[in-house]
Formats: sequence, C-alpha cells, structure tokens
Amino acid sequence: MGTLMASTEESSVVATTSLPIEHRFSPYDFNGGTVAAVSGPDYVVVAADTRLSSGYEIKSRNVTKLHALTDKCILASAGCKTDVDQLRSVLDIRGKMYQYNHRKPMNTPSVAQMLSVTLYGKRFFPYYAFNVLAGIDAQGVGAVYSYDAIGSFERTQYSAAGSGQAYVIPFLDNVIGNRNRLEEKPILTATEVVELLKDAFLSAGERDIYTGDQVEIMVVTRDGIQTQTFALKAD
Amino acid sequence: MFRNQYDTDVTVWSPEGRLLQVEYAMESVKQGSACVGLRSDTTCVLGALKRSVSELSSHQKKLLEIDDHIACGIAGLTADARSLAKYMQTECLNHKYVYGTPIPPHQLMADLADKHQRTTQIYVRRPFGVGLLISSVDSRGVPHLYQTCPSGNLYEFYASAIGARSQSARTYLEKHYETFATCSTDQLIVHALQALAGCVSGDDELTVDNGSIAIVGKDQSFTLIEGDALKPYIDQLEQKADNDDEEGEEEKESEAMET
Repeated sequence: MGTLMASTEESSVVATTSLPIEHRFSPYDFNGGTVAAVSGPDYVVVAADTRLSSGYEIKSRNVTKLHALTDKCILASAGCKTDVDQLRSVLDIRGKMYQYNHRKPMNTPSVAQMLSVTLYGKRFFPYYAFNVLAGIDAQGVGAVYSYDAIGSFERTQYSAAGSGQAYVIPFLDNVIGNRNRLEEKPILTATEVVELLKDAFLSAGERDIYTGDQVEIMVVTRDGIQTQTFALKAD
Repeated sequence: MFRNQYDTDVTVWSPEGRLLQVEYAMESVKQGSACVGLRSDTTCVLGALKRSVSELSSHQKKLLEIDDHIACGIAGLTADARSLAKYMQTECLNHKYVYGTPIPPHQLMADLADKHQRTTQIYVRRPFGVGLLISSVDSRGVPHLYQTCPSGNLYEFYASAIGARSQSARTYLEKHYETFATCSTDQLIVHALQALAGCVSGDDELTVDNGSIAIVGKDQSFTLIEGDALKPYIDQLEQKADNDDEEGEEEKESEAMET
C-alpha cells in the first residue's frame, strides 16, 4: 500500500501512502465511571464512583456523578463530563421554570419524561451521557429509570450505566432480580441494598480501570436524601 | 389643557411637554390593589392585598418569585406583570447559567427599566400598565427595594407602597421607617401588614385570605407566607375601625409593636 522511501543525505525515513487520511477533532471524550441505582417499596438507593479519567490518566479522584434535581429525585450520569454538566444545567433551568409556573417541584415521572425529551432534542449531536434517574414517585414508591444517550427510557427496578455497567448489572440481576436462584425473592431494606451496592462497586472497581477511588451512595426516601461515601482501591 | 388632542399615541408630546399615554398608564397602577415593601439591614419584606373579583372567585396572586434572592409585588394590569415577571425569571436563570452566580439586582433593574422605556418610544407598542415593587438581596447580603413604573423610571426606596389607597400605607411607613433598619423579620412583617391594613376598602379587614407576605434576606431564600401561616402576624395587628382615626391607630400600633 505505501512505499518506504529512504532519503539520501539526511537519515530520515518517511512513510507515505497514496490514500488520504482524514484528521478529525472529536467533540467527545470518555471520562469513565460507573453509576447504579436500586429501588424499593419506599426508598431508592443510588451509587456512583467518584473517579474522573481521560484516556489512561486519572484527572480527579473526587468528582461527583450524582445530581439532585429535586429533593426526591437524583440524576446519576456517566460519560463525557462536560456533556453531563451541560445536561444538568439545562435540566435545572427547565425544572426551575416548571416550579415557577406550577408552584411546586416536578415529580419523578415528570422528570423522567423531561430528561427523555431533552436528550432527544439533541438526537443528531447527542449528549454523551449515560443516565440513570432515581427517585421517589408520586405514590411514594421507589423508581429507577434507565436511559440511552438519545432519550429512550424505561422504568425498571434497578439499573446501572457507565464503564463498569457489565460487571454490576449481572450481579444485580442475581441478587436483586433473583435470577438463576431457587430461593424466594426477598424484600430488601435500604440498608441491605446499600451493602449490596458496595459489593457491586468493589467488584467493578477490581476489573474496570475507570472505576475506583470512592463510591458516593445516596438513599432517597420520603423524608429526603442521605449521603454516605465508601472507599475503593485507588489503583 | 390639551389632553384630548395629544393623548392618542404614546409617541406624541403634549404642548406642556408630557407624554399623556404614559401618564394614563400610571393611572392603571393606582387602580390595582395595594402592595407595600420595606427593608431592614438584612431583610426585605413585601406585602400585598389580594383582591378577589367576587365571593366565588379566588384571590389574585400578587407576590411572585423571581429568583432565590429576588421577589416581586405587582399593582395594575396583572397580565402585563406576569409577562414582566417571566422576563425577569428568564434573565435570572440565564445569568446564573452563564456566569455561575445570582444576578446582581441592580443589573436586572436597569434592564427592566430599559424594557419599560422602550415601550414609550415606539409607535406600535403601549407602556406596561403595571407598577412593580421588587425586593432583593445583593451578593454582600444588603437588601434593596426597587420600584418601577410604566414611564420607565426606576426608584430605590427604604419603604414604599403602590396601588389603591396606598397613601395610607405610605404615611404609616414614613412615620416608622427610621426604626426598620434594626427590626427583626417578624417585626418587619407586622409593619408591612399594619401598613396594608390601612389600604383595605370600606368595611373589609385584612385577613389570612387576602393578605400575603414575601421575604428575601441575607441568609433567607425567597419565602412566601400566605393563608394560615399568616395568622400569628395578623393577630398582632390592630385593625382599622370604620372611621379614619389615625391618631388612635398610632397608639395602638406602638402597643402591638412591643412583641
């Protein structure tokens, strides 16, 4: 395909090809990380690691992937951090306008729909954000919604997204979804779910290079949001 | 003297050098029900008398949230006011989005005054028929009370009142404003309600249904007090008797203030 030409005086060797090479600026960067959420009868637990990477570098060990949109609803996002930040700003503004006009904050199913239309609004230059929305719905029951980058969404009992998604979801399938198990499906308390998510992130942190440092865990109930952090390996 | 010939368009001067359309718009403000504002060194309180068209209807909302640190009371054409409020809300959100910090109130007020003025110099538009009292806190925690009117003039006040029968409120505020600087928020609220109580018509009284209070302060985001939450403050008022006995009122007020 290419010819290797050796120059005569200068000892430089230049590789050339007759085909054009397109150089292109990529508007996206992958900043890594994993998010997960599990819902229960009157609670929802969201967890996300706090590592921000770019390529093989760690940019920060302490950046949050969780963002409270209302006092009952949290958006967890992995992907390209600048797109995630912009998405949060846009959702905050739309949420505030809703609040001015309706004189109350949005409920979680409405936030879920709004996130979907906001993502689809950029169908042809998407937000590089892989979202999990977690909150308490209008009946007081825990709700988890999973999204793709262009707004397709579904309410599920549990979900995970980001670089460690493939390690977390099968584990949750077994322990929360009771798949491939013979025992009866247990009803878990919020505290038990927190411990399970810690296990999930420990495993993801072992195998996924982009997941590690710390896990930030938020438990949302009717009474509000409680936050805790859990240390992971920093390697 | 020449009112009838020079009052059709806002772009026509009268021989006395007046824009009559603008002045007529200011009359509209005086038709709206009363709205008062006052401030201390840390907090700015707005009070409004909510009018209801009939016994079957609700009371018109008069205090609007513009941002965490800015509130707005309206008197005059409600629809015009809501349009202006929406504009201010959008400006506040946009400023926070672009600059990451709440908009400085004086900047928002300057833009708002310019928006009013534009309507007085274009043939196809009409002035806004509404007066606004805007309470705000700046980034250093200092409260400011502003008043706009259809002419585009912007004023800053220690205390003010606009709308129907607001002179009674202004008189009360003039008498007491020197004490406001060190008042607590609760005391300011009672002052605001006492000033409003003078603006009710006829036999009516200020009640939890037709009164409302909005607060912004140094460490206090926008808070609206309406309905039953207003009761503890209303109970501290001495309501006006049928006759205009202002002197007697003064004495009763000073008793009520000692809480």
